[in-house]
Amino acid sequence: MDDYKFLFKVVLVGNAGVGKTCLVRRFTQGLFPPGQGATIGVDFMIKTVEVGNEKVKLQIWDTAGQERFRSITQSYYRSAHALILVYDISSQPTFDCLPDWLREIEEYASSKVLRILVGNKIDREDREIPENVGEEFAERHNMYYLETSAKESDNVEKLFMQIAEDLMKQARTRDLPRYDSNNQTIDGRTSTINDSSCCSRLQ
Amino acid sequence: MWSGCCGCCSAFRPRYKRLVDNIFPVYPQDGLVKSNMEKLTFYSLSSPEKLDRIGEYLYQRAARDIYRKKYGFVVIAMEAMDQLLLACHAQTLNLFVESFLKMVQKLLESTEPELQILATQSFVKFANIEEDTPSYHRRYDFFVSKFSAMCHSGEKEEVRDKIRTAGIKGLQAVVRKTVSDDLVENIWEPVHMDKIVPSLLFNMQESGFHKKESEAIDGGQEDTLDPPMLAETCMRELVGRASFGHIRAVLRPVFRHFDLHKLWVPNQFAIHTFRIIMFSIQAQYSYTVVETLMAHLDDNTKSSPTIRTNIAGVLSKIIAIAAGESVGPSVLEIINSLLSHLRDSVKNEASQTEEKEYQEALINALGEFANHLPDYQKIEIMMFIMSKIPFPLVNNNSPADNLLQSILLKSLLKVGTKYQTIHLNTTFPVSFLEPLLRMSLAPDPDMRLLVQKILHTLIDRHNNLEKLSKPTVNVADLDLVLEKSSRPDLIFINKHGPIIYDALYTSLQIDTNVPDNIEAVYTTLALLCVELACAETVIDLLQLTLGIQSLALNSTSLSNAQKFNLHAIVISLLMLIPTVVNIQPLANYAAQIAEQRKQEALHLLPDLYSHYSDNSEVANKLPHLLVDQMAVCEYVKESGIDPSRLQQTSPYGAGGPGLIAGSQRNSWIENGARGSIIELPIAEVDSAASSPGVQKKHTEEDLNFESMKKVLTEPPEIRKEAEAERRKMLSHTFRTATFSELVRRTQPKHDVLQSKLNEIFKSLTANENRSPTDEKKEDIIPHYEQNFPELFYY
Ligand SMILES: Nc1nc2c(ncn2[C@@H]2O[C@H](COP(=O)(O)OP(=O)(O)O)[C@@H](O)[C@H]2O)c(=O)[nH]1
Ligand SMILES: [Mg+2]
Repeated sequence: MDDYKFLFKVVLVGNAGVGKTCLVRRFTQGLFPPGQGATIGVDFMIKTVEVGNEKVKLQIWDTAGQERFRSITQSYYRSAHALILVYDISSQPTFDCLPDWLREIEEYASSKVLRILVGNKIDREDREIPENVGEEFAERHNMYYLETSAKESDNVEKLFMQIAEDLMKQARTRDLPRYDSNNQTIDGRTSTINDSSCCSRLQ
Repeated sequence: MWSGCCGCCSAFRPRYKRLVDNIFPVYPQDGLVKSNMEKLTFYSLSSPEKLDRIGEYLYQRAARDIYRKKYGFVVIAMEAMDQLLLACHAQTLNLFVESFLKMVQKLLESTEPELQILATQSFVKFANIEEDTPSYHRRYDFFVSKFSAMCHSGEKEEVRDKIRTAGIKGLQAVVRKTVSDDLVENIWEPVHMDKIVPSLLFNMQESGFHKKESEAIDGGQEDTLDPPMLAETCMRELVGRASFGHIRAVLRPVFRHFDLHKLWVPNQFAIHTFRIIMFSIQAQYSYTVVETLMAHLDDNTKSSPTIRTNIAGVLSKIIAIAAGESVGPSVLEIINSLLSHLRDSVKNEASQTEEKEYQEALINALGEFANHLPDYQKIEIMMFIMSKIPFPLVNNNSPADNLLQSILLKSLLKVGTKYQTIHLNTTFPVSFLEPLLRMSLAPDPDMRLLVQKILHTLIDRHNNLEKLSKPTVNVADLDLVLEKSSRPDLIFINKHGPIIYDALYTSLQIDTNVPDNIEAVYTTLALLCVELACAETVIDLLQLTLGIQSLALNSTSLSNAQKFNLHAIVISLLMLIPTVVNIQPLANYAAQIAEQRKQEALHLLPDLYSHYSDNSEVANKLPHLLVDQMAVCEYVKESGIDPSRLQQTSPYGAGGPGLIAGSQRNSWIENGARGSIIELPIAEVDSAASSPGVQKKHTEEDLNFESMKKVLTEPPEIRKEAEAERRKMLSHTFRTATFSELVRRTQPKHDVLQSKLNEIFKSLTANENRSPTDEKKEDIIPHYEQNFPELFYY
């Protein structure tokens, strides 16, 4: 029921209005929220998923895109296992800002963080960024790439599930031995996927 | 997994589970079953080893109920947890706490505002209990992250404030819980502070409270506070708990937040916040805040002057709080840093109005700071500032140098106005007085004026400055405040009178003077007269007054207007002196001349103008309107004062070289001010290597003066020998010593502060463009030597 073996922290970043909050709500609550206000600061949701036979808890942090909240949002990059960088395929400016976001990620996030580029709103007719442009950008910067629609629920599940699987793989190959032996936590349920103290060990 | 029906199989279940199940009512709205809760509590107390299993079981029930959205039961489970936590003894709590915190986290993870708030309340309760053995493996990461997120809640209005309040209280609780023991969790790590601090600031700035400052603070109960007030309280507590190593951890995110939220302009909120920080920080660290603000100015050198002005404005608002706590070296470091910022600003060639505002803000900060220092430190600071003023004061300085000089003088003036002189000898140590007087002869009239203003504020002890700011013959109307001068004052003026008078006299000879300059010299003299009123000084002052008159009569370089100005201050002084030291016959005499001038020659009376009508008769043609030396002697004698010194040859020879050479005047000015400061390198006339571009403006007078003195006093060979010897010594000294050392050498006693000052100065001069040490490097020692010969007369 609420028994999980891995806890991963996922942080979404990107310009305001690209659909970060909608992606999170779609994935965790299965809905496309009508007209909610812009996110202030940070917010988080959880969802427990199953990978293989293991329960994996995803702690998904949704951040405000506006610059003025950068002082608080940046502080959440550090402990992220995965960073989803979102832009809106129907808005060139949101794509043009990607290098700035990458700079920030470079500065504040762990170097081992899993990075995914997401082009959202593919349901829209007025696409401005062709798929291959987004893909090339992702490739150049060593990121996974996926196009989604929070509205139509396209690829949203896939996005988070792939992240969970990937992080699981990482965790197993890199840290699982240690997890089994000396890194046993109090209730034996949580693992860290790298040797930083990213994971809360309270669960 | 679960049947949902608890009662049916209860007989086969462990006792603790049955006890737990029984606290839950059938309908959640009935609330916790109190009697059964008592039983559970009693059981937990008598079987503490079961406590952890009870906790785990309660947690599982709550997790299930959250999943099923049966929030009523969740609330009851949490309440039970709270009660057990408070009832049970510390040594048995350890494992129970883990379940307790898991439960709190579980509730915080739900999207239900009510559960989040409830969980926070439980967390606060937990934070308040003392645990015997801290759990070193426990991490508060999640709580800091979640509470910080709650501080930014974007829910609808009423809910929003509740969640934000809960978030702030949660953060406060985490801090309280962890702050005493770094091993449990180092709350000062950036990973935490970077969340906590912006969250508090975000709430503090969310209301206009910082604008209605006055009604704040009384606060009252913590639970009645709105998010901004609560956040402020929490900020105070956080800052107050920070030890030295942690201050920066708190400050760094503060600065980042202000930058990103663009909160420097306008700066009310910044001022408010930094005041809070200054008032809650442990006093001995307040200097760090000032230092960090100044470092932030450094980081913003490329930002718009408006931002810098506002940051400097914040600095000036809080710097006074630091002043009370700053000691020795840190005082000078602050001053030093402010001066460096001024210098950097001056280098921004295009000094537009915004840049000027920035400089003003810095000067204000300097003044504010100095204002709150004890007086003895103000003198140190004035001397320090003085030491930073680039020499030489020559005409061909770059505009930046001139600007820097005048800005530093303005700073000096600012500090000076905050200083209250008691005894002149403490205000003017020689090492301060002499450079100041030297600067009073700077080529730039504005700079000379500034120096006089500094003298004014430092000399005036009885608030006569305003009254004496303009020359006048209506002395009776002035309503001057007089006090008999003290012995230390008299000793001071006996010792230093000559160089002061000489500098003032010399500055009147400068042909670039405007009426403001001449008036300012008058004010200085008048203040000296009022502050040092006694028979001994009267003669000196009269002598000087007569000297000024002959200067006006004999000078070949001054304009007619300047000469009229001089006559006007002569008569004003002659009116003032006998009033201050009651010499009635002299007063009558002065009044009579003034009256005659009123009839025949208004241009020889105040006010001072820069232009007079062409038919204004030169005073030489009006001997009956002049002050007669013999008459003055006579009247002084009548009043029982010995006039013999007045009758001797005047030291103020209206430029006549023979007279000067024959006088017993202090050699300092002769070699220093006269010779090299006003018109820089007189003796360089015979130096082929004089720096190019140095404008030589020497008058015949000056030339004659230098050379004739030597001709008169020494046979040529000896002169050459001595000259060479002196040069050798000078260059050696300048090669091996820095300016500050030289200053130090000349002043035998100095304290720690002084040597610290020297040290800082040393490090600074290294990167000063036109500093004396640099010139030394450039191998123009003779040039330099000409500027500081007086260093060797100390
Ligand atoms: N057509 C379309 N609109 C979307 C999609 N995702 C989000 N939006 C809209 O984009 C706007 C901003 O979404 P939001 O999730 O608040 O963006 P955020 O600022 O990145 O969190 C809202 O009006 C959403 O309805 C999508 O996949 N397709
Ligand atoms: Mg959003």
